[in-house]
Amino acid sequence: MIIAEPLQIAIDELSKLPSIGKKTAQRLALHLLKSDKQTVEALVKSLVELKEKITFCRNCFNISTDELCDICKSAKRDRTMICVVEEASDIIAIEKTNEYNGLYHVLGGVLNPLANVTADKLKINELLPRIEKEGTKEIILALNPDAEGDTTALFIARLLKSYHVKVTRIARGLPIGGDLEFADEATIGRAFLGRIIVQ
Amino acid sequence: MVLRQIDLTNFRLHRKTTINFSDGINYIIGGNGQGKTTILEAIYYLCTTKNINAAADSDVVSFGQEMFEASGDFNELSKDHTKIVFDLSRNKKFYYLNEKAVNSSASVIGRFPIVVLIQSDHAITLGGPSDRRKFVDTVISQASQTYLRLLIDYNKTLKQRTNLLLQIRETGNNRLLEQLNAWSESLVNAGTEIIKHRKNFVNEFNIYIKEAYNRIMTDKEEPEILYESSVNTETQTIEENFKSALLNERDNEIRRAVNLVGPHRDEFIFKINGLELRRFGSQGQHKTFQVSLRFGEFFYLKEKLGKTPIFLMDDIFGELDIYRASKISEYLPKVGQTFITMTDLTKLDDLNKKENRLVIIIEQGKASYA
Ligand SMILES: [Zn+2]
Repeated sequence: MIIAEPLQIAIDELSKLPSIGKKTAQRLALHLLKSDKQTVEALVKSLVELKEKITFCRNCFNISTDELCDICKSAKRDRTMICVVEEASDIIAIEKTNEYNGLYHVLGGVLNPLANVTADKLKINELLPRIEKEGTKEIILALNPDAEGDTTALFIARLLKSYHVKVTRIARGLPIGGDLEFADEATIGRAFLGRIIVQ
Repeated sequence: MVLRQIDLTNFRLHRKTTINFSDGINYIIGGNGQGKTTILEAIYYLCTTKNINAAADSDVVSFGQEMFEASGDFNELSKDHTKIVFDLSRNKKFYYLNEKAVNSSASVIGRFPIVVLIQSDHAITLGGPSDRRKFVDTVISQASQTYLRLLIDYNKTLKQRTNLLLQIRETGNNRLLEQLNAWSESLVNAGTEIIKHRKNFVNEFNIYIKEAYNRIMTDKEEPEILYESSVNTETQTIEENFKSALLNERDNEIRRAVNLVGPHRDEFIFKINGLELRRFGSQGQHKTFQVSLRFGEFFYLKEKLGKTPIFLMDDIFGELDIYRASKISEYLPKVGQTFITMTDLTKLDDLNKKENRLVIIIEQGKASYA
């Protein structure tokens, strides 16, 4: 079957999205084709604005509409604690628990040589100057408890050895091998209460 | 634990098959290529989500069909309905426990413990160290979720570390060495726990293998398993030994881009009366050892899990002499629910008839009861 070129391009673009396969992309493209013009325009506009209006916080690399995110700007947060997470979506999961009131630092991934992710590709070096600047007393490593997350935590803990800062890991409670993003709120909350000292 | 019933749809030769099982011995009789071993394959899928011979899932779909489906009802204290579906067009497998989707096989393994005696068991005593490690790993993994997770993490760490070693060799970038240290630490953390588990396992399992072996061979033959780790396990500080061994091999590891130290290089030595089976064992001793390993596994898991595993035996009587075959058939009633494939019924005449048994005939992908 020959598919009209604009349709084929739309299918190709959609199938680049995570967890969208060829079949789903086809269904989405055909659905959009059948939708009225206003609906499609609203979708396109929201996507462009997403890209234009949202940036990453220059301090913690959280998703933000400003140079600094709402958490970094807030006067109510405990500025002596930084919780290190893999992705900005982990912040959403942790915020929902209401167990944590400190600041964050988003690494943008974990060490993963197979995917060509070494330390220089992550925001690890950006974490170190924050400690002196913000007077950090505790760093909480909240990375997924799998091989990559564990190793990244060990690597950061090694780097922090020369700093006067308490390093803890949120320990038990998280489903092993599971994504922080999908863990239920109660478990993450408990994980925060039970964090252990790494150094 | 008892498997009451299975339903197969588009599962190799079985287009639509339902079988009700006995809670004792189930003899599955059929000629070659009639679909009797397929029944064992289906049971194994339901207990582990995996293929019994590590065949591709797509091979199991009946010719010209889009998906296979197998479901089974287990009875323990509670009833569990399990179902596995493989979709050919999406090349995806789905597992359901009581109608709820389960995402990882790690959360199924050990829930319905299973012991399998198949042709490829030859490799455990005759093959290389990796065949013996695989045997040990499948037994401990069924008894301990912790061990299974450690193994998954450890294997991932090995792959990541190999890749990093390769990058260090190719780029000569010394800044990567700090990261290598972190990966080594992960390797040591998981690896040390794996070694401890294996050491304990061998200590305990020797009792089970002796018991099983002596039931099949009443002579004065004494089987034994020794654990030879690539890390010195004699002293209390396995972790320290592991670390220093890694440090010693560091340059070699970078030069070859290979993980040279750790439990992935462990060996298990099988012995009879102090002599290494692999070098000095007779054919009969090998066979008896293989069968004893599986019976030992059965009683070990039963003890550890407090659940009776299901026992699958693929055509074992064909290869055994009459003495061993009759000894094993005397042993069978001590086991729980068992599934035994055979090519013909006549062999049954020599075996025990008093037991609680069911004979199922499989012909051209259809089942009937004798
Ligand atoms: Zn921020």
